[in-house]
Amino acid sequence: MTTPSSTLHTCPACGLLCDDIAASAITSQTLSCERAARFYARPVPATPPQVCGQAVSLTAAIDAAARLLQQAHAPLIAGCSTDVHGARALVSLARHTHATVTHLNAASTLRNMQVLQHRGWQTTTLTEVRNRCDVLLLVGTDVVSHNPRFFERVIWVDEAMFTAPQVRQIIYIGPQHLNTQPGTAPDGRAPHHVVCEASAIPAVVSALRAFILERPVTQPEVAGVPLETLQALAQTLKAAHYATLAWVAKDLHDVHADLTIETLCETVAALNQQSRAMGLPLGGSDGDTSVNYAHTWLQGVIPQAPELANHDALVWVNSFSPQQSPPLFDGPTLVLGPADAVLSSPPAVFIPIATPGLDSAGQQFRVDGSVTLPLSAVTATAQPTLSEIVARLVSALEGVRA
Amino acid sequence: MITVLKNARVIDPAHGVNGEVRTLYIRDGRLVNAPADSEKIDHIFDLQGKIVMAGAIDMHSHIGGGKVNLARMLLPEYQEMRRLQEPEAHICGPNCSHPATPSTTDTGMRYIEMGYTAAFEPAILAVNARQAHLEMGDTPMIDKGGYAMLGNDDYFLRLLSQQADQKTINDYVAWVLHATQTIGIKVVNPGGISAFKFNQRRQDLDQMHSFYQVTPRRILQALSRAVHDLGIAKPLHVHCNNLGVAGNFQTTLDTMGASDGIPMHLTHIQFHSYGTEGDKKFSSAAAQIAEAINRQAHITADVGQILFGQTVTASGDNMMQHLNAKVANPKKSVIMDIECDAGCGVVPFKYRDQNYVNALQWAIGLEVFLSVEDPWRVFLTTDHPNGAPFTSYPHLIRLLMDRTFRNEMFDKLNLDAQAMSNLKSLTREYSLYEIAIMTRAAPAKLIGLRDRGHLGIGAAADITVYTEQDDKEAMFAKPDLVFKDGQLVVRDGEVIKVVWGATHTVKPAFDWGIERDLKQYFDRFHTLQMANFKIANDQIAEDGRNHVINHTQG
Repeated sequence: MTTPSSTLHTCPACGLLCDDIAASAITSQTLSCERAARFYARPVPATPPQVCGQAVSLTAAIDAAARLLQQAHAPLIAGCSTDVHGARALVSLARHTHATVTHLNAASTLRNMQVLQHRGWQTTTLTEVRNRCDVLLLVGTDVVSHNPRFFERVIWVDEAMFTAPQVRQIIYIGPQHLNTQPGTAPDGRAPHHVVCEASAIPAVVSALRAFILERPVTQPEVAGVPLETLQALAQTLKAAHYATLAWVAKDLHDVHADLTIETLCETVAALNQQSRAMGLPLGGSDGDTSVNYAHTWLQGVIPQAPELANHDALVWVNSFSPQQSPPLFDGPTLVLGPADAVLSSPPAVFIPIATPGLDSAGQQFRVDGSVTLPLSAVTATAQPTLSEIVARLVSALEGVRA
Repeated sequence: MITVLKNARVIDPAHGVNGEVRTLYIRDGRLVNAPADSEKIDHIFDLQGKIVMAGAIDMHSHIGGGKVNLARMLLPEYQEMRRLQEPEAHICGPNCSHPATPSTTDTGMRYIEMGYTAAFEPAILAVNARQAHLEMGDTPMIDKGGYAMLGNDDYFLRLLSQQADQKTINDYVAWVLHATQTIGIKVVNPGGISAFKFNQRRQDLDQMHSFYQVTPRRILQALSRAVHDLGIAKPLHVHCNNLGVAGNFQTTLDTMGASDGIPMHLTHIQFHSYGTEGDKKFSSAAAQIAEAINRQAHITADVGQILFGQTVTASGDNMMQHLNAKVANPKKSVIMDIECDAGCGVVPFKYRDQNYVNALQWAIGLEVFLSVEDPWRVFLTTDHPNGAPFTSYPHLIRLLMDRTFRNEMFDKLNLDAQAMSNLKSLTREYSLYEIAIMTRAAPAKLIGLRDRGHLGIGAAADITVYTEQDDKEAMFAKPDLVFKDGQLVVRDGEVIKVVWGATHTVKPAFDWGIERDLKQYFDRFHTLQMANFKIANDQIAEDGRNHVINHTQG
């Protein structure tokens, strides 16, 4: 079976991976999502590789990069904003250079992984939510700051198989400033917002869990939230056919944010004793799920986020975030980035690469983890892919060693 | 390029050959007739006294995809550092893992070292097939393939509840095989994974699904018929309802009758052979199950033997795994509902020989092995990693071939469990020929791999060479030589050359008109485009490590 020539593209600008992006909307710059619009508006100029800010041939740049890595004892491969194929290539590069791998979103990914590895979790995916969810609880997040089309594509849809989407109940727990407007139903029904400071979210979520477990809660209120509010919320969740508890790890900043996520997951587990509920981790960007998954099957789980100071060379990959320049670092830096990468100062070596989903094909994991989607190029390019560059680098490294 | 294996003691049950001394000729990765005298011979191996079999084929092993990777993620405490030798060090980093959660590289390396040249992932969620193929593509040394899970997906259940005709169901099944690049169809807890999403906690064979008002029996009828009508070799792969429940043997017996005589394969049948006798209301029903298999020629089964130690169970059966999570060890688990397609449950387990239930599970598996008469219809599996990691196969083979050893192990079990098992009265010892049937000839025949699992002219030169030893565990753990597609890749149990293998598929002909309705379904209810559900050949071959071998039939 060959993939039919489709005029729809998949947008890798956030973890939602909307795969309904019409080529015509890209051309006419009429995309409704700002993140997607910014992504597809990126220029792909023909940029030569550089060594110390000077344009060089690709061969010369590969040689310089190989020397840089050959001289390092403990390189750090960071940023890692790429797709599955890029992740495979970077794991291979790490093996050949004894490098450590970390991702732009390592801190937030780790928050979720700590929960998974401590107690596990019970989660669902976007199509299940679209067709089943009757009560959606968003904790500490509006989601749309990360996944702008979440409500459009998953919640306020025209029809669903097992529920009436228009009457879903949307409930936010979190600070006043959350953008709750997208939680407004098509008929104008406002969402319920349990307002509390970000710092109070752990206490509020713990009290909610206590109500669901029918444990005694003695104080009259929790961080300004009346107990009756939480009691009612607990009843709503218990009465739901398919309660969905969503969070975005990046939006839970506390030192012990992983414990907040764990409390949420334990709340889901408690609900599932009698009724049905599921967790839904959202957010995601820069191929963080792809890098986490591919590293896990190739090389085991990614260890905790490393300190740059413990490394003597830096490889920086910023395909989906060209504005993210490498962190300040004393040692030599090799940037494998898009032609429009913003570099505050010229790195030791810069090799331009194509961006998956923009000027090259690729495959990417969606934030819910079970779905992987093909990415297609929307524009032609002369740039090689990250995989091609890493393959050449590895050959050069082997040549140096031989 | 011609390689000669001379003085080989060949065991090739597909051709009825049992220990005859022969010379094998390999050219371009295939077994060929003796070449003309004028032709140049490149390599000669004198295999005086050695046993030669086709490469082994694991027909049921969870080697890649969502739940397997979740198991790796769930258990970082199993991760350990290792110093690897070339050439493995060339493709694998030092972070390797517990045999229950091997990295993709580890999976391929450990299989080939035991003389296995292919493994089949038995539970590919259709919507997750792309991930499964990415992981299998990163699995070196062996061939791969998978069975797509149907029977809990809402598209199929809608068809059944709307009384769709069999042709429509056949077209959908064929479409899924194409879209997911798989070689068979599996059903896990028919209807149960879906029912759990509607808050049902059990699903019996003749119980109506609360929403769709269809029974598991109807699901089994429709899917086994579709597989049969499409001419796929691999019978419907069935993980029965009521996994792991005391008394479930009756469901298993009833399931055998659900397909009206159309072939079905009942998988990890050990987990479905439990009675309710005795003080603990948990007993062996292996005798009833084996008797039923012996009597019904349309039924095949793999065992899913448990062996003692730490492992992790990864199943599509989230309904039953949600119950099993209570006895997780270590105490954590992952349960997922997935994309109106299926689900999964990952629960770590530690099987202990002093635990009554675990000890009896061990005995039940062996009782099934020893009581099913026809080795062509019972397959050697541990349901890796659910019963035990696949690396324990040599130990399992010794248990089957060596009665004294088996009885010594039995004597160490929980005494109450010993009292409830007739294992010691089963005196059978498997022969090398029977082991070759159940690990080579039969799985190739069952899956429809016409050029694998045997050593006839034209077969792919996947070949394993052993030194016969009294200790069968030692013998099968470390073959002398392994050839993959004619290339020598293992010598003395160590990998000497890295190869990447292929992915086997079937793509039966069907009416593409089904896509009109499917497209509408995706557009109305899904969060991805139908086109993106489908995996192209060149996507499997991406990064140059894999390719597709299609076994289209009919």
